[in-house]
Amino acid sequence: MAVIRSTPPAALRDSTGVPRATAPPRRRSPARRGAVGWLFILPFLVVFAVFLVAPLLYAGYLSLYTKGLATGTTFAGIDNYTRAFTDPSFLKGLWLVLRFSLVVIPLQMIVALVAALVLDEVTGRLARFSRLMIFLPYAVPAVLGALMWGFLYSPSFGPLEQISSLFNVQAPFLLSQGNIFYGLLNVVTWQWSGYYMVIIYAALKSIDSSIYEAARIDGASSRQIALRIKVPMVSSAFVLILVFSLIGTLQFFAEPQILGPIANGSVTPDYTPNIYAFNLAFAYAQFNYASAISFALGFVVFLAVAIFMVATRKRGSIFT
Amino acid sequence: MSNRHIGAKLFLLALVCYFLVPVWWLLVASTKNAEGLFSGSGALWFNGFHLVDNLRDLFTFNNGEYLRWLGNSVLYALTGGIGSTVISVLAGYGFAKYRFRGRNLTFALVLGAVMVPLTALVIPTFVMMSNAGLTDTVWAVILPSLLSPFGVYLMRVYTSASVPDELLDAARIDGAGELRTFLRVALPLMRPAVITVLLLSVVATWNNYFLPLTMLSDSKLYPLTVGIGLWSQLASSNNGGGQSLWSLIITGSLVSIVPLVFAFLTLQKYWQGGLAVGSLK
Amino acid sequence: MRSRKMPTMKRPIIAMSVLALVLGAGACSGGDDGGGTAAKPTNCTNKIVHPEAKAVSVWAWYPNMAKVVDNFNNAHTDVQVCWTNAGQGAPQYAKFQTAISAKKGAPDVIMLEADQLVGFEIQDALVDLAPYGANDVKAKFSAGAWKDVSQGDAVYAIPVDGGPMAMIYRTDVFTKYGIKTPPKTWAEYAEAAAKVKAAGGPNFGDFGSNVPAVATALMIQKGANPFTYDLANKQNITIKLDDQATKDVLNYWGDLATRKLIGTEDQFTTDYIAGVVNGKYATYVSAAWAPGYLTGAGVGSGKEKGKFAVAPLPQWDAGAPVSVNWGGSTFAVTSQASDKKAAAEVAKGLYADEASLTDGWKTQTIFPLNQDVLKSEAFVNNKVEFFNGQTANKDIYIPAANAYQGATYSPFTVYYYAQLQAQIVKLNSGKITGDQAATELQDIMVKYAKSQGFTVQ
Repeated sequence: MAVIRSTPPAALRDSTGVPRATAPPRRRSPARRGAVGWLFILPFLVVFAVFLVAPLLYAGYLSLYTKGLATGTTFAGIDNYTRAFTDPSFLKGLWLVLRFSLVVIPLQMIVALVAALVLDEVTGRLARFSRLMIFLPYAVPAVLGALMWGFLYSPSFGPLEQISSLFNVQAPFLLSQGNIFYGLLNVVTWQWSGYYMVIIYAALKSIDSSIYEAARIDGASSRQIALRIKVPMVSSAFVLILVFSLIGTLQFFAEPQILGPIANGSVTPDYTPNIYAFNLAFAYAQFNYASAISFALGFVVFLAVAIFMVATRKRGSIFT
Repeated sequence: MSNRHIGAKLFLLALVCYFLVPVWWLLVASTKNAEGLFSGSGALWFNGFHLVDNLRDLFTFNNGEYLRWLGNSVLYALTGGIGSTVISVLAGYGFAKYRFRGRNLTFALVLGAVMVPLTALVIPTFVMMSNAGLTDTVWAVILPSLLSPFGVYLMRVYTSASVPDELLDAARIDGAGELRTFLRVALPLMRPAVITVLLLSVVATWNNYFLPLTMLSDSKLYPLTVGIGLWSQLASSNNGGGQSLWSLIITGSLVSIVPLVFAFLTLQKYWQGGLAVGSLK
Repeated sequence: MRSRKMPTMKRPIIAMSVLALVLGAGACSGGDDGGGTAAKPTNCTNKIVHPEAKAVSVWAWYPNMAKVVDNFNNAHTDVQVCWTNAGQGAPQYAKFQTAISAKKGAPDVIMLEADQLVGFEIQDALVDLAPYGANDVKAKFSAGAWKDVSQGDAVYAIPVDGGPMAMIYRTDVFTKYGIKTPPKTWAEYAEAAAKVKAAGGPNFGDFGSNVPAVATALMIQKGANPFTYDLANKQNITIKLDDQATKDVLNYWGDLATRKLIGTEDQFTTDYIAGVVNGKYATYVSAAWAPGYLTGAGVGSGKEKGKFAVAPLPQWDAGAPVSVNWGGSTFAVTSQASDKKAAAEVAKGLYADEASLTDGWKTQTIFPLNQDVLKSEAFVNNKVEFFNGQTANKDIYIPAANAYQGATYSPFTVYYYAQLQAQIVKLNSGKITGDQAATELQDIMVKYAKSQGFTVQ
């Protein structure tokens, strides 16, 4: 930790430089300038080392040990990993978040894309207002979003039930064991679609509109323009969104954690890998195994994203 | 033509309704007292007006712990958000405008880091922090929030695209030092991206739940998310000491989303452009 | 123009200095590891009456805790309680577990249910109170209550309340559907449930997955003995969750649930409480402290006033009744307490004064274990308002408490409850039978105990 304390002041001294008077009239040599480049990224590198590299290494280290309630800590080698990848709790949670990703990501993309395309087409006050309102849920913490939807789902006080009862039908309880998948799907879609919509919308706005004119002259309809020109032109925005929603969904935690207590046991302590790791560490005091689960989850996410990047062949867009 | 737009407008209205329903419910519910909330009357319409009472209860309950949480959230979001933005801006500029040995490798690391799920780091970070005696302090929440690989990526992409090298060279020829060049020439051009990154990181810290939930055990240090989570847990076990906590939770939720909504509304002309940056490359 | 707004180089210097300070301060405070300092007794939920006295931090969730703390602080000039509600049950245990792992952040004194004690004792997280005069108060409690908090000569907590179980029921529903006397056996209970349902009535009861402690108590009532464990022999444990009694009880409730005679909603949620208020459940198999929590949530007031009554817990064999317990809590001193003597004084004295205990039992949020109270005229003959004037203590709860034999808990109660909960969810949805649930639970728990280094018999 001493390193952290001493480096930023050093960075300060160097980068602010001494008064111009002593500086050479011409700029620094390229090598010298390279050193300045390092100084600019130095604060980030420090944080990166302390809060990313070190925890990763530490998790790796912790995961090689095991500690039982009745025994002390012993070296376990890769036992925790063989256990993790045969642990039905972990695998079930992993399968759930993968399944969830497969449904929620396309759903969000479609909502976001359609909304963005419509907003790109329609102008005026309604469009501006809609854009903001659709984006609004992004500003609501996931915890509160889940709480609000939990209330709305309530069979005793929720509007869903009240509206259904007008037609003499019983609304489905969206947190029951069979339905909670959809209940969560709705919460997540509500929360993030607007954010993605804004990204796509901004990308659409940056397209040179003369392309549309040319297409129109060639007799293309609005729909054709949307599908053949606009969508391909914003595809790199898709890649970005996909990567983020994939990373986000695989780490699913807050929403099921908050909805759990009102979901009649549908949210088990191993519902998602993150919830499982949290409970292992903080309810069952198994930090070593929890670290292994965290590490394994991180690995799976990394792998999934990497596979996805290769599959979409958009490597150039992120790997500059 | 106009027909199609009517369809589009109806579609937009439907979308707006869907996205607004929970917020509308929150607004309506925060004007009700516990009786109104649970009476089974229309959940989406008003029933009495108790917003003022609710607000007073909210800010005085348990010696005003809500205000404390609000203050904590502001502290974490501002220090974490500003800190990570400063770091990202510096690093993004460094990556974009300097050629140095190891740059590509380092940037590849940053990109790799974008893909590491940060929550997977929470538990080892917790153990590290506890070894350093830092758990249950504000640092345990603020310091890990400084890490934002995506911010660095965004800043680099934006800087490469919007800050011409010629301009920097011209400044250098005029005798400006590297830092002065960065501040006077580059930074103003980077402003939309800076505000975007700032908003993103403030929102991320403000909304964070997993990190403070694990790091903090003293409720005096809780941010709003964890505090309201605690209240809702107490309320669902009917442990408000005879007082129903639900109206406080609902009013508290409403109050806590106001600052961010306000920030997004007032700063929209910056972030709406900036958000696209990462996707343009 | 824009450059004029940043005339100097100060800004980045400030920014970087802030960063340096932040990181530096972080690194600095890393040096002086506070190891063992408890939550600072600043900003307590309560008022400190004697600021010069030693402050002891306490986590507790009793609904009337504010009064209890004030009573203590007013009566003590040498020590003061600084109280926080860190959550009820599981969330508080998770926080405590976190603090144990972090070696800091635990309170000096903590409220723990009796079934949680062993799990923390085995981690050396609790202080043996015998050297701090715990035995001074031993005489106030029954032998069973004292056994729950001690291991051999060591005393790890001071008991406060218990939870003798009984059957709360709605007289209006019973009258409407012609249930003349409350069921005395579980067979009669099932019969009455079928009768009410056939007549279009409400659920007869509820078997929520989030009250695994209730399920365990009901298993024990039939003769199950899930865990045999003694801290003195800490590597050995006996687990018997697949015996016939456990299977019978799980089959019984699974059957009622799949026949839709009872609800399967989690208990204490707002929806569940609304159901209790609106007469959606005819009975509530629960502990003596439950009426207080129900009252706190608004049950039994207004139109619902006087509609509740209580009867003894139904039995498997009416000729040989067995009493069981749900919940009930203690105060323990944590190993992180800086002043263990002061903390022990709080553990012994908090919620032990007459005024607090009286407030507790009058509001029915606790069923005290203090024998002075249990034998007091006022308590015995109290006409309980929630039960429409029934002398519930004398008729139901005191006999149940006296007949309670005590139970043995495992050192991994949190894990066990989580697994039982998962089985109950499956049982309630009809996916598995009680036999399957019991067998699976046994396998899971044996496997877990072995992975924790226990020798399982």
